[in-house]
Amino acid sequence: MDSDEGTTRGRQVKRRRFLEATGAGVAGVTLAGCVSTGGDDGGGGDGGSTGDTDSGGGTTTGTASGGSLPDTVSIGVLAPEPSSNPIGASIANAAELAVTQLNEEGSGPEFEVSVKDTREQPDEGRSKYRELTIGEEVDMTTGIFTSEVLLAVLDDIANQQTVHMTTGAATPEASARVRDDYESYKYHFRTGPLNAYQLGVNMIDFLEAKQSDLGWESVAVLVEDYEWTKPVSQALDDEIDRAGVEVAMQERYASGTENFTPIYDQVESSDADAALIAMAHTGTPAVVQWAKQQRPFEFGGIHVPMQLPSYYEATSGACNFGVTQNSATPQSEVTEKTVPFSEAYNEQYDSYPVYTGYITFDAVKQYADVVQQAGSVEADAVVSGLEESSFLGTAGTIEYYPPDNEFAHDVVYEEGKVDPVFQQWQDGNQEVIYPDDLTTADYQKPSWL
Amino acid sequence: MLGTVAPLQANLSTVLVQIVILSSLYALVALGFTLIFGVGGVLNLAHGANITIGAFVAFVVSSQMGYGGFVGLAAAFVLTGLLSGAYYLGLIKRIQDEPIMVMIITLVTAVAVEEVIRFVYGSQPKVLTLLSGRVNIGGSTVTFTQLVAFALSALLIVGMFAFVNYTRQGKALLATSMSHKGAALVGIEANRINLLVWVGAGALAGAAGVFLGSIQGASWAMGRAPLVLSFSIVVLGGIGSIRGSVLGAFVVGTLEILTVQYVDSSLTGLTPLLVLVAVLLLRPEGLFGRELVEA
Repeated sequence: MDSDEGTTRGRQVKRRRFLEATGAGVAGVTLAGCVSTGGDDGGGGDGGSTGDTDSGGGTTTGTASGGSLPDTVSIGVLAPEPSSNPIGASIANAAELAVTQLNEEGSGPEFEVSVKDTREQPDEGRSKYRELTIGEEVDMTTGIFTSEVLLAVLDDIANQQTVHMTTGAATPEASARVRDDYESYKYHFRTGPLNAYQLGVNMIDFLEAKQSDLGWESVAVLVEDYEWTKPVSQALDDEIDRAGVEVAMQERYASGTENFTPIYDQVESSDADAALIAMAHTGTPAVVQWAKQQRPFEFGGIHVPMQLPSYYEATSGACNFGVTQNSATPQSEVTEKTVPFSEAYNEQYDSYPVYTGYITFDAVKQYADVVQQAGSVEADAVVSGLEESSFLGTAGTIEYYPPDNEFAHDVVYEEGKVDPVFQQWQDGNQEVIYPDDLTTADYQKPSWL
Repeated sequence: MLGTVAPLQANLSTVLVQIVILSSLYALVALGFTLIFGVGGVLNLAHGANITIGAFVAFVVSSQMGYGGFVGLAAAFVLTGLLSGAYYLGLIKRIQDEPIMVMIITLVTAVAVEEVIRFVYGSQPKVLTLLSGRVNIGGSTVTFTQLVAFALSALLIVGMFAFVNYTRQGKALLATSMSHKGAALVGIEANRINLLVWVGAGALAGAAGVFLGSIQGASWAMGRAPLVLSFSIVVLGGIGSIRGSVLGAFVVGTLEILTVQYVDSSLTGLTPLLVLVAVLLLRPEGLFGRELVEA
């Protein structure tokens, strides 16, 4: 569970459709927070709509509902170890930064944020969730990186009838619950990352699109055996045929694996051109041993630790030439908001955010936009506001699948909406190699090959 | 297909090379633990913390201060040894006759060290660099770092044998491990021997931490798995026996590699424990249990 981001692309989604829209849509958009606010305004320029060619330039977000906004809107944040874990720190800091910006703009109610530590433990997450919703009576919650924590909290979300926008956990179980029992679970939205099944689909899309640049004719599929990778494996199983690569070997290796020598020896003897990976917990020993042993195959897929901007330094450069999916990198202009956010974050916290930071920032800003449009923090109004919202964030244009979709209330994976990047570490920089309109460098083979 | 955890099945020479490399690292990991257990008769649950401290000393010296991998290794060896000695003098010495207290104190220390490391360095793993490059031996890829770990481990084990069997201090150490009373009667100062053992054990753990940090990455919780591993190895080999620990390390390393290669990699953690249960049932004193005599 945890982690990862990516883009999902439902099978029905047409991939190329939105490219041209992005630029045009983006240009006219205003920041979410600068928008008008108050309950009586529903039309004016909302923040966020954007990018959506279908809307003809207007906003797609909710309408004024005639409710009244309280003076203070409080947001509860659930983050894993925000004092020491970069993933948790990004969730907490990005929420605080979003609220600071909203308050500086000053056009709406005062926003405040309360951060709690889940410690990645389901029971701890649950009790912190209750502290936030019952004790502090926050108006919405966001965060949650670990899927086990999210699953533990889902029933409480239903009971408390408080909107929750997930910004880390990838389990498709959450969206399945929304679809199967909409009335109970409709308060759950996943602003990002893509759910775990779509993460796998996104890997196939990447392979398919970049096949000629990568030159991977055969791959060894290496997936760590954790709950979150099961849907990823399923997606790879379902769709790898269309990527046009031969699968030379498949290994779902044990959780907690630290010695990759036997696995890599096997990859070598399979003559695979590359290891196609899905790794979060076991990622560091895997990439370090790949690089230090100078294995004669390339290495890419989903590798959560490699998404961290400080990872090159932490591994003394061992991640060089590794490829991973990511929501955004500090220098990539996924939207016009991406770089201003990462720079503002860096200025404030002296480091760049991890992907959960982009997503959480988007969640808070989108929520603020929706409540100001709806003129209410009442849950039902916010739920329908979010369902209709099309919000230009830092990770793309955030929209949610409708209630009857198999991925109900998950962020829509589609070109021009949310479409994760693939990055390669090149001499200390996270260079984007896909999608093509965002590339900052060409793919490079490892220097020892 | 992707859903199954399939065995790998490499050829024999590859497997043998992997066994030797992994087992020698395990021996280095377990040796300090066995020394303290054998001589002092106490269970040092802070052994894993020493491994973590060694890795982070090396990280600070080699990466942050820029002195290079081998200076980092030397610093880890020396500093962790000194810290371990100071820990013995400051805390353990006064409670060493109360095994339960020692267990509690060392467990608390282990947790405290983890928390401090996590607070100071965060939860993101760091990677140490000793040497770059690799060779292919018998169909398996071996890095120069692993070769250094193997060589140093072998050197330290041989050195320890020589020390215990051929020096006065070493013989005193052996005597103390056999009987505290007997050793005291012939004028051996148990506290000095214990101090020596704690310093030595800390130094070995520090070096093991550098190799683990270089091969797998160093993180705040990296000491947990080696502690469990050491426990299995030491019980398997016979408590307090150096020879037994080396053999125990090879048994555990062999089982791990064979399980990964021929059975199912998700069972790696389980097989040594099964063997441990079998040994405890059939030969509770361990493979070399004769050396454990107690007083």
